[in-house]
Amino acid sequence: MSERRVVISGLGLVSPFGGGLDDFFARMLAGESAIRYYQTDDIPRPLAIPAVVCDQFDADAELGRPQAGTMDRFAQLGAAAASRAWQDAGLTAADSGTRPDAGVSWGTALGGTLAYEKGYKELWQKGRERVSPLSVVLGMNNAAASHIAIRHQLAGPCISYTVACSSSTIAIGEAFRRIRCGDASLMLAGGSDAPLAYGVVRAWEALRVLAPGDAASAPRACRPFSSERAGLVLGEGGAALVLEERQHALDRGARIYAELAGYGCNCDHTHLVRPEAAGQARALELALAEAGLQPDEIDYINAHGTATREGDPTEVAALQQVFGPHAAQLAVSATKSMHGHLMGATGAIEALITTLAIAQAALPPTAGLEHVDSDCAGVRHLHQAQRGTPVRAALSSSFAFGGSNAVLAFRRHD
Amino acid sequence: MDCLSLIREFLQDRLGLVPERITEASTLASLGVDSLMQLELVFEFEDRLGISLPPDTRLPKTVGELLRLVEHHTQATRP
Repeated sequence: MSERRVVISGLGLVSPFGGGLDDFFARMLAGESAIRYYQTDDIPRPLAIPAVVCDQFDADAELGRPQAGTMDRFAQLGAAAASRAWQDAGLTAADSGTRPDAGVSWGTALGGTLAYEKGYKELWQKGRERVSPLSVVLGMNNAAASHIAIRHQLAGPCISYTVACSSSTIAIGEAFRRIRCGDASLMLAGGSDAPLAYGVVRAWEALRVLAPGDAASAPRACRPFSSERAGLVLGEGGAALVLEERQHALDRGARIYAELAGYGCNCDHTHLVRPEAAGQARALELALAEAGLQPDEIDYINAHGTATREGDPTEVAALQQVFGPHAAQLAVSATKSMHGHLMGATGAIEALITTLAIAQAALPPTAGLEHVDSDCAGVRHLHQAQRGTPVRAALSSSFAFGGSNAVLAFRRHD
Repeated sequence: MDCLSLIREFLQDRLGLVPERITEASTLASLGVDSLMQLELVFEFEDRLGISLPPDTRLPKTVGELLRLVEHHTQATRP
């Protein structure tokens, strides 16, 4: 029996720009940043940071008020992104309905952290003795996956992955495996997170990895690979891919964006936060090997590229280890410079971008990259979009705290 | 605010229901109130009316039954 192949037949996201998929990708190609100066009225000290917020997203309108009311924002963002991907794949309500061959694989780093924080405020700030009876179901990390399965009546595997910044890359990779091994013919895979909770932001601040900025400088606060880089920018969002067994997609006449051909997953096993080039290189090699791709067949890499001092050069070193002489021709960009770091959802939005890069033969740039740091040189950084050159294959990488590395390999589908 | 108005306000907010549609004869299930939302409703009553329903209270089937349950406990907790 020949190996089952997996294709991407649907894409969906909640865009920080407020528009749809085409609008989002056009803005990525244009190097447009969604980062804004985010201010709150929290006490005792309001937040004032560069961040990405999906402020045009209306959960009640999109999901219906009764359902939206039983979801934390991360689940709302996830359910909306998944429904949009389902629709984009040309699937309808008729394709739903107790399908044991279809499932959900979802990534979230923080789950319903806003619901928990609201509960803590009730208890410790307002002095109340109890919290909302919905607190558990709002807060649980698998809430988004379950809401998605319920909305589309998918009776196959329904699994959530919490692996810090690799969460949704791993969710997509594990969904890919489910289809490859025959457990499922279709998986809604992706991730969502809403990390702009007061305590979460303060925790990231304490790590001294958040990029500073004010109202004027916020859009260019995140500058991966740049000598001026000063840290990451938190963002909220959700993105989803419809993964489908290739023949299943062909039989229903689905549009196919690209093939998901390989997945590498490993652990640095050395340190909680210090990344290791050797571990990252191994994850890249695993993805290439499973896809049956040679390094010189890769035309684009959507890098993890968070814009931290230590992370970016480590990633470039890993690319140089794996790609050798081809590294200098390897087109690399870090789109977090525009959509921010969506925590557990970041791998999903970057997988979506990589898929569109292949489908449209158009590579987005790293926005604001004027001066490449000497520590990050050695690959072909994209300062502007590259259009019109066919993209044979591409990788999307996520390298998480905890040393958990995950890489997806995509190939053009002909 | 009387108890029926409180229920109507809650369900208008959570489910977008027209208040006049909610009568004592309405079953909670027909209004779209599932077991989780029943817990929310009880929580709302306890908060707003300062009452406390025992944890083993059997949840009612109709709006009327819910009203009587709440009124019973409201009277029981009055000084």
